[in-house]
Amino acid sequence: MSSNRISRHTSPQLDMNPMVDMAFLLVTFFLLASTFKTAEPARVVVPRSVTTANLPDDRLITISVAVDGRTFIGLSSSEARIMWLDRYAALYELDFDEAQRTTFSLIPGFGVPREKLKEFLNMAPHERSRFFQPGLPMDSLSNELADWLVLGRTVVPRARVAIKADKGTPYKHVDHVIKTLTENNILRFNLVTDIKRLDNDGR
Amino acid sequence: MMEDEMDNPIKRARQNKKSKNAGIVMDMNAMVDLAFLLLTFFMLTTTMLKPKAIELVMPVPDENDQSTEVLTIKESRAITLIPLPDNELFYYQGFSEAVAKSSTYGAAGIRAVLLEHRKTTEKPIIIIKAHPNSSFENLIELIDEMNITRIERYAIDQFGPKEEQLLAEAGVNLK
Repeated sequence: MSSNRISRHTSPQLDMNPMVDMAFLLVTFFLLASTFKTAEPARVVVPRSVTTANLPDDRLITISVAVDGRTFIGLSSSEARIMWLDRYAALYELDFDEAQRTTFSLIPGFGVPREKLKEFLNMAPHERSRFFQPGLPMDSLSNELADWLVLGRTVVPRARVAIKADKGTPYKHVDHVIKTLTENNILRFNLVTDIKRLDNDGR
Repeated sequence: MMEDEMDNPIKRARQNKKSKNAGIVMDMNAMVDLAFLLLTFFMLTTTMLKPKAIELVMPVPDENDQSTEVLTIKESRAITLIPLPDNELFYYQGFSEAVAKSSTYGAAGIRAVLLEHRKTTEKPIIIIKAHPNSSFENLIELIDEMNITRIERYAIDQFGPKEEQLLAEAGVNLK
């Protein structure tokens, strides 16, 4: 009886090889066809548009604007970020140690004012992701967005600038960023959007 | 007959192979598990859609007053669009005797206006003067309309007292 049960158990032998093949094929596809999500300092839902031009991946300075108007800046290449921080440190006579510089090179975008930058870089990763970043100050006295922007352009020459604003952001915040750009002679820039298909309604 | 078969080297090889194949049965279930785990991981952590971008070119900031330049174009060529908060939209044509009219986003609203304008005027110019509290999405929507109606000349400008006055005349109450 028992031997009968065992033989019944073992008899339907499925050939798993094609399944393995398929699964690894899909894994390979996703590996090659995708880019990783990057951790963002604030949630930004970009509006949709009918444009089909792709945003370039490299040599890009991204300025994110959250719904509440907080502004963040990020540089696409992590190698250049260290030099970016060094130049900023030289400008304001700060000094960052090796650990802080390495941490900075791993952050894709940030929005902390100068006096909080060291504290921000000293945090543990999980602390940092929970930390509420106040955004870069952009008043006329100290426009830190302009500082980072100009330095970013010296580190990565001919870098493109993209404004990634949330769809609900009041226009005045975006306007403020655009003014900062034009004041620094950046007259050509990109507005980041998602793809939209045109339906009958056209909206 | 039997011996004949065994003598045939090809057949013998085949038989050998068969027996070897049957000997090693690997349990592939674990491998399938692993592969699907990786697949799930990559599916969840990746973004497939690349972000798109609208390129904007702003005019060179001029120390001189720009209004002189604006006045050199024929008034009828220009339509000014004013996105307002809460998805409201107004527009006016020309400058001096302009009257602000209400419109809506989408094909039935502003697109019809723009298409009509493009048909009736040579080299149409659109100026977008977004209200400070209008949403960024509205601006993108209007730039989209420029691309859809193939109006190449458009500019983004500041919302000013002129717009405020025209909107007040049209009975719009802005805080």
